[in-house]
Amino acid sequence: MTLLETHQAEIEAIVARYASKRSAVLPLLYLAQDTYGYLTDEAIREVATILELPATDVYEVVGFYTLFYNRPVGTWVLQVCDDVPCCYCGAEELIAALKQTLGIHEDETTPDGMFTLQRVKCLAACDRAPVLQANLDYVYDVTPDRVQTLLNDLRSRAAEARKRGVSGRFAEDYEFTRDGRLVQIERFSPYRPREFVIEPPAQPATPPPSVAPEADAGLDRPDTRKASPL
Amino acid sequence: MGLSEHIVMRELDIPDIADFEVYRRHGGWEAYRYALTEKTPADIVQMVKESGLRGRGGAGFPTGIKWGFLPKGVYPRYLLCNCDESEPGTFNNHQIIDKNPHQLIEGVALSAYAIEAEVAYIYMRGEFAAAARTLERAIAQAYAAGFLGKKILGTDFNLDIYVHRGAGAYICGEETALMESLEGKIGQPRLKPPFPAVAGLYGKPTIINNVETLANVPRIVEKGVAWYRSHGTEKSPGTKCFSLSGHVNRPGNYELPFGVPLRELIESPEYGGGMKGGRPVKIIIPGGASAPWLTADHLDVPLDYESVAAAGSMLGSGAVIVLNDTVSAPHVAYKMDEFFKHESCGKCTPCREGTHWLVRVLHRMVEEGHATAADIDTLHSIYRQMAGNCFCLLGESAVMPIKSALALFPHEFEALVKQSSRHNGHHIPLMVHR
Repeated sequence: MTLLETHQAEIEAIVARYASKRSAVLPLLYLAQDTYGYLTDEAIREVATILELPATDVYEVVGFYTLFYNRPVGTWVLQVCDDVPCCYCGAEELIAALKQTLGIHEDETTPDGMFTLQRVKCLAACDRAPVLQANLDYVYDVTPDRVQTLLNDLRSRAAEARKRGVSGRFAEDYEFTRDGRLVQIERFSPYRPREFVIEPPAQPATPPPSVAPEADAGLDRPDTRKASPL
Repeated sequence: MGLSEHIVMRELDIPDIADFEVYRRHGGWEAYRYALTEKTPADIVQMVKESGLRGRGGAGFPTGIKWGFLPKGVYPRYLLCNCDESEPGTFNNHQIIDKNPHQLIEGVALSAYAIEAEVAYIYMRGEFAAAARTLERAIAQAYAAGFLGKKILGTDFNLDIYVHRGAGAYICGEETALMESLEGKIGQPRLKPPFPAVAGLYGKPTIINNVETLANVPRIVEKGVAWYRSHGTEKSPGTKCFSLSGHVNRPGNYELPFGVPLRELIESPEYGGGMKGGRPVKIIIPGGASAPWLTADHLDVPLDYESVAAAGSMLGSGAVIVLNDTVSAPHVAYKMDEFFKHESCGKCTPCREGTHWLVRVLHRMVEEGHATAADIDTLHSIYRQMAGNCFCLLGESAVMPIKSALALFPHEFEALVKQSSRHNGHHIPLMVHR
């Protein structure tokens, strides 16, 4: 079965949105990626044929955008934001915890094919750091101690994830509550003010010692710098 | 300096406003109905011009004036809503769409009417996958209610709004790259001129506005120019959703009138709630990753376009990142430039090579602990060769973090050199490529 045979109505509806067929390349690549698991050569050529494009042009697009995978990925692709300010709010610790728990490095997939781990650039949720996306479902406030809860939950929803695909066409968002439960965020839910943990100043308020510029630069902790920027 | 009523973030005042019925009951879609049945497109353009609304995406360009650049009598025209929000520190578009999608859709529809466009695309970054679904559901409700489609509300106006998801490229927030991406190509910027208003999407006249900008339009039409101008300052009317993040107790979006002092945003118990653990402020980045840095000396700067510029930085997208004294300035510069390196599209040499070399040198200095005195000169030399020479603003923006770090915290780079020579004076290994 080709993509056109299985999804003809959907493809026609997508193409009809644009004045030029070529504009449909990103949505069709998402569709192909979800259908085949990742963008195989065959899938890329199919999209090129549907849109009457040279295959090279589609390969170029696949190579340029980071959400297209041209090699197999896990059932869940975990993408952790490691930018400023996330990296100063626990993202590095989160990545370390994920690597340790899963026994893999960045850009690797677990042997059972369940998880792929990636570092990504800004996810535009800096107020909910540390934050990651699992198949483009946002998960907010993922502190390292919540990694096990998250992974257990994702494992239990593996069958559903395989059906939905990795491209986020059926994405939902999740958050951790204050007591550490992982819950789905209701669409069309009313605004609820967030509760914050206010960190009081350290006791007692002694005048800061005069530090040499070297110490000021955080250079007295060279041994931990690679694991954590803090 | 509080706000009696929110203009953009109305979900704070009205629970459940994401629901079509609730939005409608609170006057939603009314400005659009009024415009279509009682005002001409030119009236709406004039109104937005007089309101002084300025683009919220970063440049602060007056929206009404931008709309006025469209050549007369050339159709079709396109309206593009830029929701490619992906610069470190920015996250207000995300909340606006998640919590109040109808206000954005009404803003898009009203603006499309004003510029006489019959097709509008909302270009969302690929990662806003759930938000794209929220918008699509809300758009379907608007079609069902007869506010979108053909012959809307018995007038001759037709409008289709489509959500188009990108696929993970920050550069597509640059307006010409966004159009390239929407045309199905890789997101590399185009040479300007011609400007999009003259030759944009598919070579047709095109207007591109940010999410927050368009979300302001319904309230301007509904409540009038005088009401709108009663918020904010003379040159920056209205409000801004400041995205506050970093080492503050209460990170989040705070909609405030332009001109609120930085100190109030950071320290007020209603907004930032002060610094975590009471630690001192070290670095303030007031307008997203591409803004030059400020320090604790600038806490009294009012947050409007002119004042922040006078302090030597820019308000940009209003994404305020506040970092405390535990961070190392070279490390912040390294992380920021790593972002720009990753997102550089590769079209022009100064940006592609410049960001690459900045990151290679900084990685060796900061992460590997091998720094020489010559590195500091090299960093100065690299950013000077980039500044003013890049094809678009991405490369120019990448200059800001390293230039700021070297100017404000030179002793920290010198300390890296000194510390490196203490334990390793003779051998600098090649960096491991990441």
